Amino acid sequence: MKILVLNSGSSSVKFQVIETDLERMNAHDDRTLATGQVEKIGMDDSRLVLKVPGRDPYSDYREILEHRGAIEWVLRILADDEVGILDDVTDVDAVGHRVVHGGESFASSVIITPEVVHEIEECSVLAPLHNPPNLRGYYAAHSALPDVPHVAVFDTAFHQTMPAHSFLYGIPFQLYTKHAIRKYGFHGTSHRYVAFRGSQILSWDKDEKKLITVHLGNGCSLAAIDRGKSVDTSMGFTPLEGLLMGTRTGDMDPAIVPWLMAMEEMTLHQVNTMMNKHSGLYGVSGVSSDMRELVEARAGGHQRADVAFRMFCYRVKKYIGAYAAAMGGVDAVFFTGGIGENSPEVREWALEGLEYMGIEIDQPINDSLKGGEGEISTDGSRVKVLVVPTNEEKTIARDVVRVLNNIMPTWEPPETVSP
Amino acid sequence: MSWELHNVAIIGGGMMGRSIATKVAQEGLNVCLKEVSNEAVDASRAELEQSLDHEIARFGLTNSEKKAILSRIRWVTQFDCAADCDIAIETVQEDFGLKRRILRELDRRMVEDHPIVINTSTLSITELASQNSCPERIVGMHFLYPVTTTRVVEVVRGQLTTDSVYDRAVEFARLLGKVPIKVFEMPGFVTTRVILPLVNEAMHTVMEGVAEAADVDLAIKLGFNFTMGPLEWADRTGLDRVLNWMKHLHSESGEPRFRPCPMLKRLVRAGLHGAKTGQGFFAYDANRRRTDRLPDDKPRLA
Repeated sequence: MKILVLNSGSSSVKFQVIETDLERMNAHDDRTLATGQVEKIGMDDSRLVLKVPGRDPYSDYREILEHRGAIEWVLRILADDEVGILDDVTDVDAVGHRVVHGGESFASSVIITPEVVHEIEECSVLAPLHNPPNLRGYYAAHSALPDVPHVAVFDTAFHQTMPAHSFLYGIPFQLYTKHAIRKYGFHGTSHRYVAFRGSQILSWDKDEKKLITVHLGNGCSLAAIDRGKSVDTSMGFTPLEGLLMGTRTGDMDPAIVPWLMAMEEMTLHQVNTMMNKHSGLYGVSGVSSDMRELVEARAGGHQRADVAFRMFCYRVKKYIGAYAAAMGGVDAVFFTGGIGENSPEVREWALEGLEYMGIEIDQPINDSLKGGEGEISTDGSRVKVLVVPTNEEKTIARDVVRVLNNIMPTWEPPETVSP
Repeated sequence: MSWELHNVAIIGGGMMGRSIATKVAQEGLNVCLKEVSNEAVDASRAELEQSLDHEIARFGLTNSEKKAILSRIRWVTQFDCAADCDIAIETVQEDFGLKRRILRELDRRMVEDHPIVINTSTLSITELASQNSCPERIVGMHFLYPVTTTRVVEVVRGQLTTDSVYDRAVEFARLLGKVPIKVFEMPGFVTTRVILPLVNEAMHTVMEGVAEAADVDLAIKLGFNFTMGPLEWADRTGLDRVLNWMKHLHSESGEPRFRPCPMLKRLVRAGLHGAKTGQGFFAYDANRRRTDRLPDDKPRLA
């Protein structure tokens, strides 16, 4: 079946058309028919880009004021006689929507019903920048394609299996019950795909293994996946917690925030922007938030670039150790995301010195693997280390198939803690 | 007829005009900012960039956000840009004749039911509007400086303002993330009317020798959790402006409580207009930072 996958942001809509079904999924033979996006929604020079494998990219400009216009434009182009790939928009069999926050309401992907829409709205308070545009995308797609099923796939759902002792924070319990302040974790769709695909490459049953998935991209997070279930992850209530990232602090002493607000007389907005946009690799190095530029600057002897690089890798290592301890061992570590897939330096530094826990890297293989899929540990390494390019869109398309065939893995309901 | 908000005309690139322009551009709308000459445009643009750089240094903004903001602001020297704007705001000084002339220019060019906003804290919307060919589309909005962070705006209904124009002004305020306070026309509305007597009283307290200016400010700031004391507020607002407002409120209302403190008059006559001139009740450096901060005023935790 042909599935339209949509990722609707505040001023953009990214889309893919993926052909897949149960047979193709099992054979790892899902086909991406087209990818693209509409950018600058709300402006008079919105841009649509369509990429079809084997053809030159197509792009066009026009005034698009809201998501409805953007999605109608996408469908029109997809069904266009010259540049399109569909005979008619009715060729779309189903639509998969990325939704950032499912709160405690969603532990797996679901068909979108009015009740589901209501629940997603309820979760908007937890992701005010993301859930509302996700929903606008849904409304627009639903009005253009009212007769096909629409499925929501949540970034947070995969981590709903975390036990209470890993998802609660050590703050007064009533703040959890009142504001739902707890660890949710993000990148769930990516962690789930990478765990699945990595196990497939190794011909493992992932439900028997202890895995650590390391997603290093613009945002960075790890997940501890114990026999198929996420039991811990490094992002938290928001995507700010955990690893050092391009411009985000990751873990730090929370007392720094009130201290800065008092001593520097910073406002709430300033301290928030400081932690999210002025920190991380960029803030420490003063050079760049881009790992490639950092590696270059470091090779040129730039000291702060070097320390930022080492901080980044050190934190990955610390979390790998922590998650191995949490699971009582680890069978494999899978790297993904822009940095995880393309930076042998980061992988090397993050895993350096972990031979005692059975991690041995094949140096030449690691150095040569950029952007592809493959194993980088030695034959004798007790823990397998793989690079697995992530594919969130494919996971969303596959979830649509799973939901429609009623085979969406149903985890036990998330643990609830009553006062 | 449907009305959508995409393009905003701002007349006057002074402190208030730049601050509104920044906020409007930050929210993703396009701005055309009118100044009187190319020199004024250059000066205004330089000041605006400087304030964005200052906010970057305070971690409140990033370089790419600065670029995005600047890309949405078009500086012009003619009124023609107002023709394709969905709303226009004048931000020139509190000068009745000047504001009236600007309203005429805007009225002549803008689509009939698009709101024209007067940004004033004391002048009469109704009186300004009444000399216009369509007074019903004129509405007041009293923005408070700095517009980028102050969460409130007073939306002022003149005698002739229509509901639809008024609602559009309220919608505009909400789009900017502000809490609109609906007020009817009356000199000083809420904010100016309430703050000025407080400021005036602080000046009297100093003049009568009850306490030093710095102590008066500290007492009020720390006692009521204000971000700054009333005298520093007056210095930063400009003592000349404060005096003008007081005079206006006094003459409009006839109430003695709005009679400007003689000490304020004296400072203004001496050219000591506050932070912008380096001296008012307190001394300021070129970056408008106070040079006399007291040890007791240092921030502390808990």
